[in-house]
Amino acid sequence: MITGNGAAAWGARLARSEIVPNFPITPQTAIIEVISSWIASGEMNADFLPMESEHSVQSALAAASSAGTRVFSATSSQGLLLMTEMMFVTSGLRLPVVMVNVSRALSAPITLWSDHNDVLAQRDSGWLQIFCSNNQEVLDSVVMGYKIAENSDVLLPMMINLDGFILSATREPVEIPDQDEIDDFLPAYNPKHTILDPKEPMSVGGVVFDEYMYFRSQQRMAMCNSKDIITDVCAEWEKMTDRRYGLVEPYCLEDSERVLVICGSESAILKYTVDKLRADGEKVGMLRLRTVRPFPCEGIVDALSDVEEIGVIDQDISPGSGGIIATEMKACLGRDVTSFIAGLGGRRIGAEKYEQMFKRLGRDVEEWIF
Amino acid sequence: MKDTYLKRLTDIPMEDYLVGGHVACQGCSASLGLRLALKVLGKDTIVINGSGCMTLLPVYPTTPLRVPWLHLAIENSGAAGTALYYALRRKNIDANILCYAGDGATYDIGLQSLSGAAEKNIDMIYICYNNQSFGNTGHQRASSTPRASRTSTTPVGKVEAAKDMTAIMAAHRISYVATACPSYPIDFLNKVTKAAEVKGMAFIDLLVPCPVGWGFDPSEGINIGKLAVRTGMWKLYEITDGRVNLTHIPKKRRRVSEYLCAQGRFSHLSERDIEEVQAEVDQEWSSLEARGYGYEIMV
Repeated sequence: MITGNGAAAWGARLARSEIVPNFPITPQTAIIEVISSWIASGEMNADFLPMESEHSVQSALAAASSAGTRVFSATSSQGLLLMTEMMFVTSGLRLPVVMVNVSRALSAPITLWSDHNDVLAQRDSGWLQIFCSNNQEVLDSVVMGYKIAENSDVLLPMMINLDGFILSATREPVEIPDQDEIDDFLPAYNPKHTILDPKEPMSVGGVVFDEYMYFRSQQRMAMCNSKDIITDVCAEWEKMTDRRYGLVEPYCLEDSERVLVICGSESAILKYTVDKLRADGEKVGMLRLRTVRPFPCEGIVDALSDVEEIGVIDQDISPGSGGIIATEMKACLGRDVTSFIAGLGGRRIGAEKYEQMFKRLGRDVEEWIF
Repeated sequence: MKDTYLKRLTDIPMEDYLVGGHVACQGCSASLGLRLALKVLGKDTIVINGSGCMTLLPVYPTTPLRVPWLHLAIENSGAAGTALYYALRRKNIDANILCYAGDGATYDIGLQSLSGAAEKNIDMIYICYNNQSFGNTGHQRASSTPRASRTSTTPVGKVEAAKDMTAIMAAHRISYVATACPSYPIDFLNKVTKAAEVKGMAFIDLLVPCPVGWGFDPSEGINIGKLAVRTGMWKLYEITDGRVNLTHIPKKRRRVSEYLCAQGRFSHLSERDIEEVQAEVDQEWSSLEARGYGYEIMV
């Protein structure tokens, strides 16, 4: 039984992350605390770098990754936003950094509880984004994250999101794979595209002018490539662990007429609601987006093409536009969806409200569920 | 003096690791400073650059650098150097880490990150190439800009004095702190050698006269640097074990007007303004003389 934060730390340890720059922020802090204790006791062979800000954490991740080491860190909320400038640099330099974000709503007003506006504020930064639904998935995603990010057809950083407190502080049964097994699965990182060694002088981070757009298009191609790589790595993981992951997680969609789309750990209560309504004969289902970048458009279209009514639950809001995921879903599907804004700042949703949402599908509106 | 130290100009190694053909301005002392530093640091050096004038050295797909170079952003050379130190240790690579960042990136936006590295006394050399302004964006005011200097954002001259950056670094109790100027290459390069020899962090504040920002002919850069030192307006010193020691004492100090009147950035000053600057400099130097050109800065 370990917390989501414990699972994240175990992922970094099993992946043999070598350098862990860090800065404390609630509700992420327990991740770096446990890593610091493992490094101190010799259970984890890594350098623990306490930095003076999250901006410096992301800078240190980029520098250490440029020099070819495998790096890890974790952050939350304001910390993630302080990294913003460097998030784009890490991705633009094509550095396969893996970082956990423990989602927490953004200030002001300042709060500790979870929603997804912190992660989604980094939506366009060129990072792969995975949203986890339970603690096992957190551990598995961190280890798989390195294999995906370091793939030469991808070479993009990956952010793994777990919901603050709901997962970060809740204990769940988590199977911890053997180190030998992981060592076979995840070979050492030996980059060819960034080397900081006087034997092979390379200028990293130089100026471009007309070529800029060419580099951005390569980044976009890498993001497209990542869909297949994620699928392949998940298949390999399933062979090893019997645990199945992908870009999306469909739940009871075979004959569903009404479906709610969601990200993250709230999917557990939504599944419970689906089971309950199905027991009453209602044809309802759920689709969980596990990746938001890359946006799994093909998987969404496959899963939802025969569904009559679609609702999208956003634990985020882009004022002046609407729910961020709902907006992307409409663009992907080319049809109307009902947009529910719920759970901001960790506001409890619960099964009754999911039932209410299923009843209110079928209108092209944005509805706030308080 | 150890034999690793230089005594005359002909002792400076011929080998170059910043080669010609780059796009820095004519008469740029910042690129000269880097070229000189790399001559003594040698090929086993990795440069970390904070965004600024020098960021324009490698322009894709070319680079004038024969040593590795990493540029991430303006304000994080300290953090990048810290991480690189640990990464190189893991990779068993023995190399000097040279952070080469401007004064805006050092005194202002990068101070926090630099302080983080200094507090840990990370084994690296940090050279602040100091043109006393945000030079690359067109000479705007920085906390390194001296009082009275005109910049594009202080059109009537800066009111405040420059921040005492070396004292800030000394207060972190890092291994070595110094000031320098490429117009005094032997003094500068021996400080770079010391910086490389000490274990822990070394910080050098390098005055680099900027023809574009300061307003003088590109051929005059070396002379302007000499005048800065000869008038006593830029002091050459080092700080070790909490003690400041001047490394160059002008035999007969020149009048500050020689330095100020040679530059467009001070052309708005009246004779009275110049006399005020002279009085300030005189006062500082009599205090230095009284203390034998050396004093304790840290208890």
